Amino acid sequence: MAAALTNQLHALVNNMFATGLLDEQFQQLQMLQDSSAPDFVSEVVTLFCDDGERIIGELARQLDQPNVDFDRVDSFAHQLKGSSASVGAQQVKNTCIQFREFCQQRSRDGCLKTLDLVRTEFYDLRNKFQVMLQLEKQIQACYPKH
Amino acid sequence: MARKMIRVLLVEDEEIHRVMARAAVKAAAGAEDDDVLDVAENGAAAVRRVREVAPYDLILMDRQMPVMDGHEATRRIRAMGVTTPIVAVSSDGLPADVEAFIGAGADHFTPKVSQATRQCRPCDACMRHGQQYMIDLCK
Repeated sequence: MAAALTNQLHALVNNMFATGLLDEQFQQLQMLQDSSAPDFVSEVVTLFCDDGERIIGELARQLDQPNVDFDRVDSFAHQLKGSSASVGAQQVKNTCIQFREFCQQRSRDGCLKTLDLVRTEFYDLRNKFQVMLQLEKQIQACYPKH
Repeated sequence: MARKMIRVLLVEDEEIHRVMARAAVKAAAGAEDDDVLDVAENGAAAVRRVREVAPYDLILMDRQMPVMDGHEATRRIRAMGVTTPIVAVSSDGLPADVEAFIGAGADHFTPKVSQATRQCRPCDACMRHGQQYMIDLCK
């Protein structure tokens, strides 16, 4: 049972790397997890997912204003770029870089199109992260602590 | 003789980066379990902590923060005569960003991504600097 779950987990994570969702920074995160911080990756991934959802909501609100404050939009895009870079979320990070370019150009249309793209990419990644964390919990449950 | 603990001040407004920085400081060469990591959530809080709390051996300074940003906080800390090593940390890492930080008085610059790995040379250098500083104090 544990072996099958582990294979599923490895296949999922390998696929996330192969499709460009994740980059080597995620491997660096995994290397920082040890016996003194056994839930480090889970903690960081959860923070990323929670922050990402909040920031995307803020971006939508800001772009819905009659007079868009592009500096404020850029600040939120910068935040999302930073957290995605830190967690290894390559695809989301790259889209945030594009987003910021549209902010510099003061292009509401460009920002709205990129927001749609970042939203789709973020939720795809979040779903996969949730599956990943669920598989890890199931694997840990196969080895009860005494 | 065991060295005294090293006090690090992390200046960062976002929780995810605080978690990452804690891991980076812990992973840095020379770090020990008793070393203290204090947190300030913006530049103004950082300036207050530096003024009011026992001297720090290392300051990790984010750039973009509410209330007061990292550049201004670095300038004000240096204006107080504080010589604690300051490692500037930013997601951007643009040359202008690096220049502004070094111009404000930071000693090193590291992008956030490389900060949160086991290969953060500025963190390693500053932890060793902090360690040497404490060894010098013990003499």
